[in-house]
Amino acid sequence: MNPLVRFLARRIGFLAITFIVFLIIIFALPRAIPGNPLATILARIFQQSQSSPELVKAVEKKLMEEFGLGKPLHVQFLEFVSRLVVGDLGTSIAFYPRKVAEIVFVYLPWSLGLLIPATLVSWVVGNLLGALAAYRRKTAADNVLLPVFLTLSQTPYYWLAMLLLYGLAVTLRIFPIGGAYTPAIAPALTMHFIIDVLYHYILPFLSIVLGAMGNWAIGMRAMVIYELGADYVSYSDSLGLPDSKILRYVFRNSMLPQITGLAINLGTMLGGSLITELVFSYPGTGYLIFRALTTLDYPLIQGAFILLISTLLVANFIVDLVYAYLDPRIRTSYVGE
Amino acid sequence: MMPPIVKDLLKIKKLDVSVVIFSGIMLTGVFGSTVYPVDPVAMVGPPEQPPSNLFPLGTDSWGRDLLALLLSGIKSSLYIGLTAALIAAAIGIVIGVISGFKGGLTDSSLMLLTDIVLVLPSILLMILIAAYLRERNPLLVALMIGVTSWPWVARAVRSQMLSLRTREFVYMSRMAGLSDTRIIFLDLVPNMASYTFMAFVLLMSGAMIAEAGLSMIGLGVTRGTSLGMILYWAQLLESVRRGLWWWFIPPGVCLVALAASLLLLSTALDEYFSPRLKGG
Repeated sequence: MNPLVRFLARRIGFLAITFIVFLIIIFALPRAIPGNPLATILARIFQQSQSSPELVKAVEKKLMEEFGLGKPLHVQFLEFVSRLVVGDLGTSIAFYPRKVAEIVFVYLPWSLGLLIPATLVSWVVGNLLGALAAYRRKTAADNVLLPVFLTLSQTPYYWLAMLLLYGLAVTLRIFPIGGAYTPAIAPALTMHFIIDVLYHYILPFLSIVLGAMGNWAIGMRAMVIYELGADYVSYSDSLGLPDSKILRYVFRNSMLPQITGLAINLGTMLGGSLITELVFSYPGTGYLIFRALTTLDYPLIQGAFILLISTLLVANFIVDLVYAYLDPRIRTSYVGE
Repeated sequence: MMPPIVKDLLKIKKLDVSVVIFSGIMLTGVFGSTVYPVDPVAMVGPPEQPPSNLFPLGTDSWGRDLLALLLSGIKSSLYIGLTAALIAAAIGIVIGVISGFKGGLTDSSLMLLTDIVLVLPSILLMILIAAYLRERNPLLVALMIGVTSWPWVARAVRSQMLSLRTREFVYMSRMAGLSDTRIIFLDLVPNMASYTFMAFVLLMSGAMIAEAGLSMIGLGVTRGTSLGMILYWAQLLESVRRGLWWWFIPPGVCLVALAASLLLLSTALDEYFSPRLKGG
């Protein structure tokens, strides 16, 4: 078989298994945890039943139906999966009777619009700075850069967001204090609206880029230093190859592990950026999940998570494609591990 | 006299800096409440006071003393970080050792499990589990962090095992007829001690940051304090937009300083044990 096809088939198989395991976790958690969380929300709905008894009845019926409570577990699971297959993520409790999928699709684009560009920019900038620090190691540049990278890599994006918001929006009033656009402006594809969105975008974007950059830089720095000590570097050096050429080799060799690192860190970055949305009241999935958590809207939480993880697994696969394309061992003759 | 290794280690500047920062904050957290005996959850003053002689770090919206909260928060975050790191290290080492030593089908299935947990983001798994728990004490929070953050340790320990188990001294033990368990405990585990310690340090810094993240989304400890919980309350009460800087800056500084000093410590040890990284 073509080595590339084999590599990709294995990755698709792995991601599919991961998705199934994730679905089992999503399905099992509310049913396995003692004290039955679903009963808790039902009780809570009953408490509020004075306000509108018919609505409560309807919500309760929907909930019982969608979670299939009372039926045998395997039947519940099959129903859960078959609803998923047709794209039915259930009905929200807090926004009853709106469907979960419909709600999440309003919020998801804001999250992805923030996360994807921020990830790519932080990756590129972090890697370049890390390589620079490695190349200039034992100079003033590295002595300044390394502590900065170390600190940034351990700084949660949302705290960085709080600092930036306080410094640049609250105190200096350069940027807006939150949201994704000025509420008075109607969302439309006008120049005015786009500029307004970008203006609100800068601080959240910057928080994630700065927070994620340190991690990439540290990884790249260590990788380049390690590569610089490799035999091929001393050999090329003794052959009299120009520094720029050797550096290119080193950079290309250090790049591959960083791409694998991208796949591994995507999840952490996603989590961090969801929490950052809270600081800016940014109308993304993080904000939605936070609201769903406070109202115990379990169908909405489940649905949001299923869509987030699906997106993440697709992103993982895209990284695999890039990796396969860049790694000559896979591109030309992939052999086993 | 100091043993030579301690002398060697003391010469590493990174190591000294990290140990000073970490133990400074740790000691402040552990002994702080003895020196500054104010009840962290009692409403002791007027709300939202900026730092003053009476309240060195000001008060929050409920009139709680933020210095007292910070001291107990440091202690609690360290406890959660330490416990979570112990749990994660234990799981990671056991899976890594078995996987690397046994090989074959055991290895493939354990690594499949590891890779699955590695791809699913631990913070999302934690949120998902925590969402269904109405009561969350520090131990439970540590447990949630521990069971979701071990995969990279398992992977790293496994590759260490793979390189160790083909060394001569292991063959010698085999020839001498030692059992697998004895080989693991007498030959292999001691050789990974330095590595395991570095992994533990990184797990601990990761766990403290994870605690803060979980708290920020509203799923931290339900009773008690932590650095993350102070940030959560600060966020909930809009402290940033209302300019109450004394509420959200100190806990963040402590958290970042603790986590960064641990990372620095592990980097310093890494360079000490594998000199090629220093790039001579």
